[in-house]
Amino acid sequence: MSDPVNPSVESAEYPPELARLPPGRHGLPREFVARNQRERLIAGLAEAVAENGYAGTTIAHITRHAAVSRRTFYEHFSSKDECFVAAYDTVMAELRQRVDEAFNQEEEWPQAVRAGIAAMLDFLTAEPHLARLSMVEALVAGPVVIERYDAAIQGLVPYFQAGRKGRSAKVLAGLSPSTEEALVGGMVSLISRRIFADRTEELESLLPDLVEFTLTPYLGSSEAAKVARQG
Amino acid sequence: MTTGRSDSGTLSFVASKSTPRPLPGRHPLSREFIAQHQRARITSALALEVSERGYRAVTVADIVKRAGIARNTFYENFSSKEDCFLGAQQLAMSAALSRVVDAAGEIDDWPYRVQAGLSAFLCYIGEEPALARTCMVDALAAAPTSVRYYEESLQAFISLFRLGRDVSPHGHELPETLEEALIGGVFWILYQRLLLDEPDRIGELLPELVEFALTPYLGAESARAVAADG
Repeated sequence: MSDPVNPSVESAEYPPELARLPPGRHGLPREFVARNQRERLIAGLAEAVAENGYAGTTIAHITRHAAVSRRTFYEHFSSKDECFVAAYDTVMAELRQRVDEAFNQEEEWPQAVRAGIAAMLDFLTAEPHLARLSMVEALVAGPVVIERYDAAIQGLVPYFQAGRKGRSAKVLAGLSPSTEEALVGGMVSLISRRIFADRTEELESLLPDLVEFTLTPYLGSSEAAKVARQG
Repeated sequence: MTTGRSDSGTLSFVASKSTPRPLPGRHPLSREFIAQHQRARITSALALEVSERGYRAVTVADIVKRAGIARNTFYENFSSKEDCFLGAQQLAMSAALSRVVDAAGEIDDWPYRVQAGLSAFLCYIGEEPALARTCMVDALAAAPTSVRYYEESLQAFISLFRLGRDVSPHGHELPETLEEALIGGVFWILYQRLLLDEPDRIGELLPELVEFALTPYLGAESARAVAADG
């Protein structure tokens, strides 16, 4: 079965080093091609936004970075906004997976929290453009993205709620229904401000403070500080 | 040990709390009052529009319609949507901070000073939920200047909280970014509640926010005692 997309247009736009599909009639299943193009468009958007900011990014920018045709763009997305939402979801899924893996590798909850926060900071530091996309540009990409942004942050709450398990009545009495929300909000606020200021190189140095801040309500300050300073 | 009254030296941009009263007839003060009132009306309209559709989607036409003013009147006050947004942000932040300073400045005992400040802040947010929402998240990305205004108000709150290090038995051991994190947390909670669109319930949050803010300095029991005393 041949690819209905005009092969000659595709091959003209494929710089060799970016080509992941052979140009022309490759007989690959339509779904495979579509998925690959979608990924390229998402990557293309991320690069375009890093260069031009969200407002300044055009579909032409995106398709150029993705090395696909404008027609292909519209086969996958009806607008720039929609493409951004897909990009945002992809970045968040990746981040979430890394945090989850790191968290679940530790047996003890305090160390798991430390590992999860470290994984988040590592990712954001390694990918400053994606960090900016998800925490800065997301805020101007429309209400659908803002909703996702909120949900992503709230999605961190369960990692901390797990810390209530097995605590003394005294410790539990010191927590309120919104404690985890506040801890997560505070943590993200510290991270977000540095990304806004283009100071992603400072993110890793936040690790000890973030661990101490989030663990203190459950472990007390001296125990939390110990975990924070672990190598 | 208390540190005495703090001055509001860091809050140089806070608007003077004395609003000129309108006088009958043509008088320079009444013109200023009308101008201030007009700006407030326009920025309120912007805040409502932004909270309903998001900053990007809002146009000057939307604002003008919502405010019930002529287009000319908008442009007499602001040069663009962005300018209006910055005006709204500045107005909201200086009004909120001036309430906080007024309330907190009266009190010598730091934990109660924080409580009074937070209480005043929550009051303001309850009265101006759309404006508050606009300033809390959207604000940061709207314009580079927005971030600066946000940073300035953040610094004011940080100064207030930092005084707690002097009254805390282990103040010198506290993480450097603690104040920033506490305030970020408080703002996030407030923002989430604002999204639920129940501004009259914002005040209910005071005790748990006070407890959250004071616990790192004073311990959970003392913090709770202050919060219960509110």
